[in-house]
Formats: sequence, C-alpha cells, structure tokens
Amino acid sequence: MQLDANRTAEPTSRWPTRLLGGAVVLAIASVGSSCNLDPVHNSAVNSLGPEDPEFYPPESEYHRPGEPCALCHSKKGPAKSKFVLAGTIFWGPDDYNARVDNAYVRILDANKTKKCFVTNCNGNFFVREEDFSTLTFPLLVSVERTVEPGKNEETLVIRRMASHIGREASCAICHIQGLRDFASPGQIRLFDSDQEFRDRNIPLVDCPPPEDFVQVTQCPEDRF
Amino acid sequence: MSGGSVLSCSGRGEAASRRRRRARWLAVLASIAGLVGGGTLLTGTTTSCASPPDSQRYTEIIMPDFPTYRDHVDAYLQRRCGTLDCHGQPGRAYRIYGFTGFRLYNVDAGLVSGQQPTIPEEVLANYQAAVALEPEEMSRLMATQGAEPNKLLLLRKALRIERHKGGPAMAEDDPGYRCVVAWLRIRVVRPAPDGEWEIIPQEDREKLPISAQQDCERAKSFP
Repeated sequence: MQLDANRTAEPTSRWPTRLLGGAVVLAIASVGSSCNLDPVHNSAVNSLGPEDPEFYPPESEYHRPGEPCALCHSKKGPAKSKFVLAGTIFWGPDDYNARVDNAYVRILDANKTKKCFVTNCNGNFFVREEDFSTLTFPLLVSVERTVEPGKNEETLVIRRMASHIGREASCAICHIQGLRDFASPGQIRLFDSDQEFRDRNIPLVDCPPPEDFVQVTQCPEDRF
Repeated sequence: MSGGSVLSCSGRGEAASRRRRRARWLAVLASIAGLVGGGTLLTGTTTSCASPPDSQRYTEIIMPDFPTYRDHVDAYLQRRCGTLDCHGQPGRAYRIYGFTGFRLYNVDAGLVSGQQPTIPEEVLANYQAAVALEPEEMSRLMATQGAEPNKLLLLRKALRIERHKGGPAMAEDDPGYRCVVAWLRIRVVRPAPDGEWEIIPQEDREKLPISAQQDCERAKSFP
C-alpha cells in the first residue's frame, strides 16, 4: 500500500520540475534558432561594418553594393531573406561609383536550367531561394547590358565568366571590390578599363532612382 | 588466567595487523619506486637510442607521369576543381593554380587572376599538390599500375565516395574521370634485372592512349 501511494505521489511531485525543464529547453532552442552562435560567421558579418546611408538607403535592395550579399542573406542570417546567388555589376574595373543598372544576369545551372535576373539602379542583383529553388552548382554566368533596356534590346556589351561558379553564392567573395591580385579578379565589370566606359558616355543613374527611371523587371527572353 | 590469555591474544592480533599494514605500505612504496624507476629507464633508453635528425633521409615516392599530366590532365583539373570558391584557395590541402583562378604568388611575375595564361610553375605546383595529397597511397597505386584508382583521396572526394564539401565533381562515366584514370594507369615502374624495381625512364614510357587523349580534350571544356 505504501509503495502504491509513493508511485502515485511521485509523478505529481515531479510535474513542476519537468515543466520547468521543458521551458528551459524551449527557451534555449528559441534563442539558438533566432541568433547565430557561429563565431566565424558572426565575425565575418561584423567585419562588413555599419551601413552607409549617404550612399544608399540602409537595409534596402540598393544597399551595400559590391559586398558579399549571401553572407547575411543565408540560413545563418542575420537577414531574413535568403539568396542562392547575388552580386553587383560594375561598368569598369576600378570605379566603385559606376554601377550597371538594368543588366541581364543569365545563369545556367548544372541541371541545364536557365534563368535570367536584372540588376537594379545600384547594380545589385539577387536570386532568392524561392526564385530558383532547384539551383544546382556549378553555374555558368553571363552579364549583358543592352543599349536601352526595355526599349532597345540591342546588345551594348556582354561578358561571360571565364570559369564556372563552384559553390559560392556571393559574387563578392571572389570578385573582391577594389582588389585585383593573385587571389581575386576584381569587381565584376563589363569593360576592362574605366576609360572605355567613359568614352561611351553612358549615363549613370542615381539610386534610389528618379521617377522617370525605367526599372526593367524581366529579361527580354522572359518578356517576349 | 582467562583474562590474561585474552589480553595476550589481542596483543598478538594487533602486532599481526601492524605487520600486515607495514607490509602493505612497503608493497605500495615498492611498486611506486618500480614505476618511477622503470619510467626513467624507458625514457632514458628511448631518448638516448633515438637517431639524430637526418636531412638526407627521405621517403621515395613513385610519382605518376608528369608530362602526361602537364599536357592532358592539368587543364581539366584546373577548370573543374580550381575555381576561386573551391580549390583555388590558399587554405586548401589540394590547392590548384591557374589562369582563371588562384595564381602562384610571385612578385616578379605579378600574376593576376583572370589575366595572364597559366605558367609552367603553376602546372608543376598543381601536379605536386595532386601527388602530395596522399603520397604513400599514390606510390602504392603507381606500383600496381593504377589498379585501384578510387583508393586515392583525389578521386574518392570527387566521386563523393568520401564526404566532399563541393559535392560530386566527377562521375565514373564522364570523360574527366576517364582522363585522370588513364593518366594514373601509365606504367612508371618495371622489374629491374637485379630482381628489384626501377623507375622507367621518361623516353621509355608509354603514351596516353588516343581515346584517353580525346576524353581529356572533351573534359577541358566541361564546366
């Protein structure tokens, strides 16, 4: 009888402890999922430094041109949206302020699936996970800028990557802005010299763009 | 009388237990001394008998054929594995240099990624990286004329027999794999007249079969 009484009494006395334990586990799990505990990733994110509101609206689609987008826009965060590929296209090899608007970035993945994305006024393009969920590395990539995107789709300049992309989602990890050396080919560019770009008198667009700016949202092959 | 006998009995018992305790202590002390002495002896003998470092001593590695690698294989491996986001990085054990990827650092040459063509020193460094990945395993493979090439980490990783961060990079039915395997099957050792083995001189070595050369050519253009 005593034994039975003990058996029935034990679970009821442990309930508060178990509840508390469960709450602690849940709290730890929620903290773990909301903030990243990877010191290497956190250090890489912190090394990007603060946003620069003088040059772009912070935390917008125009922000941080030339920086490794998928560092934050990844499963590890801290950005909410996840990119499978993203980068910035420049006109020349050195000028950071000359970025290509409405450039067509064409991707061919390992499954031979083709998709095309368009850069915004700050030269940024990004491929969200939901935009290309089947994307499989390695990728072949080309960039084209037409004479007047949306109106005159005659090719002005086109560049293809000499190699493929093995597995990196951020263009800027290899295409380091302002650095051309033994480990980086420099920023992604349509012309090999800034002078060549200037000679063509191609107008640069402010960003955020003026009201009369035409932002093309689809590449010609997706439109027609 | 009976009280006296009890006393003498207990006195004898105490003396016996004291003797036992002393004996136990002695045994413990003796074993500690034995351990310390033995350890000292062992350390002394091992350190005094260790041979001094010999700068002339090395392990001979049987290397696969370099000219074949240079002329047929390197371009494929450069293109397939040597991008800047994969093995074209300084932190990789199997590090690959080349025109579109990582460049051999040389102040005089000033090589920049994507600008100057691949230089012979880079091809040599790529060959050395492939061999140095598992030198002993490579020697065994060369001694058996490339009988089981998938034992090499170079191929185990690429075929994803072993975990590979970059995913599968080759398949057994693709021309790149056939190109690499054909290179590894070129005979580089033969029995010597004295019953030992000797390295086959470069001029006596067989060439890469035509079909394998075609595989290598096709593989060069594969992303």
